[in-house]
Amino acid sequence: MTPLEQQNKRAKIIINFIIFLLALISFSRRDDAIDKTSFVENIMIDSFAPVQRTVFFVRNRINFYFSHYLANIEASKKNVELKTKIEELDGQLFQYQEVIKENQRLKQLLGFAEVLKVERVMAQVVSRDSSSDFRVIRINKGFSDGIRLQSPVVTTKGLVGYIFRLTDHFADVITILDQNNRVDGLVERTRSHGIIEGDLGDVALMKYVSRTEPVILNDKIITSGLGNVYPKGILIGHISKIEREGYGITQKIEITPGVDFGRLEEVIVLTSSYSDEKKKEWTALDDQDESGQKDLR
Amino acid sequence: MRENMFDIVKSILLTLLILFFLEVINTALMPIVGLSNYYLAFNILVVLFIGFRVNSSYQALYIFIIQYFHSFFTVEGWEIGTIAGILICVIISYMKEILHFINFITTIFVTYIFQLVWFVVAAGLIYLKTEDVAYVSDKFWRFLIEASIMSILAPWFFFILEKIWKVEDDNSLKKSF
Repeated sequence: MTPLEQQNKRAKIIINFIIFLLALISFSRRDDAIDKTSFVENIMIDSFAPVQRTVFFVRNRINFYFSHYLANIEASKKNVELKTKIEELDGQLFQYQEVIKENQRLKQLLGFAEVLKVERVMAQVVSRDSSSDFRVIRINKGFSDGIRLQSPVVTTKGLVGYIFRLTDHFADVITILDQNNRVDGLVERTRSHGIIEGDLGDVALMKYVSRTEPVILNDKIITSGLGNVYPKGILIGHISKIEREGYGITQKIEITPGVDFGRLEEVIVLTSSYSDEKKKEWTALDDQDESGQKDLR
Repeated sequence: MRENMFDIVKSILLTLLILFFLEVINTALMPIVGLSNYYLAFNILVVLFIGFRVNSSYQALYIFIIQYFHSFFTVEGWEIGTIAGILICVIISYMKEILHFINFITTIFVTYIFQLVWFVVAAGLIYLKTEDVAYVSDKFWRFLIEASIMSILAPWFFFILEKIWKVEDDNSLKKSF
């Protein structure tokens, strides 16, 4: 081996070692709940995402064309059905408005705190994550639109997930189908608690529900409000499968999400006062924790 | 050993451009054909190519650049791929004499084997952090399918990258085309 080759080999070992070490340190310090973007990431994601948005838009237009023009055979029939349904829903809406008013009156009487005002930001899905290990979508709204890390994301059909990574103009949403996302849920009918975890397929799993809980198929699952990320009462999905073994203390529950993630195009991000309130609560909890530790000292 | 700065920068930029094109297709176009559960990780192929065919002291730096670029399109981050890539390059450096890419079959086979090594390293790291066997086993079944498709695409992909990185020796895939 010539001296030059030896020198190159030594340089290679040193560079390998430094980058390997940096990657290990960064990996061990990585937060699974949120990902704060660096300055470079912010610029690069904001530059690349518009291209993804354009391709996604073209894709959607092609989809739209096929589903609305070529495959639209029973349109008039469906139109009549929908009109009837709207009339029914109008009637229900009137009843709900009465219930809301009554609810507000009762809350005032009982002295309950005012419901948090939640601001909504409409956003479009521009792409999906490039790794099959994650169920993450990218949306075309970011920090400059008032979105913050861990803001809940929903649609009219139910819960989508929360903001995991954020740049000035785009955000990555970790959906409830992702295995890294855990939501504290509640069976609406029985009020049984459980943790909803993604399964990387089209369904989610509800874990830690006691096997004595009388849950049945098609029971609605809603957010419990615990965990300080999602507001209470958002629909997550319906129970589509229950497995009760002859042993163990919990039952295996499969949930079909209310949201059709395969056709997700628009989402609503809940921001502002809700995030601020959460921040206040966290600060208060941190302060409490710190003062508790001081007392212990 | 190729250490011409201009050539290296040009090769990296062209590789990133190809990767960008493939990542956009992967993230924005693939779900239209129902491929929402399987994605082709072209970054792995680029890193494997660097390990197999690019003989440079800065291999680790190139891998870092590729993985960092990939992280703009996924929340996976750059770390796991960089660690796996560097380890694979070290393994390859000891096996250089017995690895040949003179035809399709050997290229497909060798690529598949080293994708398995990649999986073992990545799964090991994920397990260390999550201690979740179910997650790793789920990943494995998806990986088997994805790796098979990637391996079949590897000869064509490597052929293009050989042109970009100007790799021409007895081991070149050029003879197979």
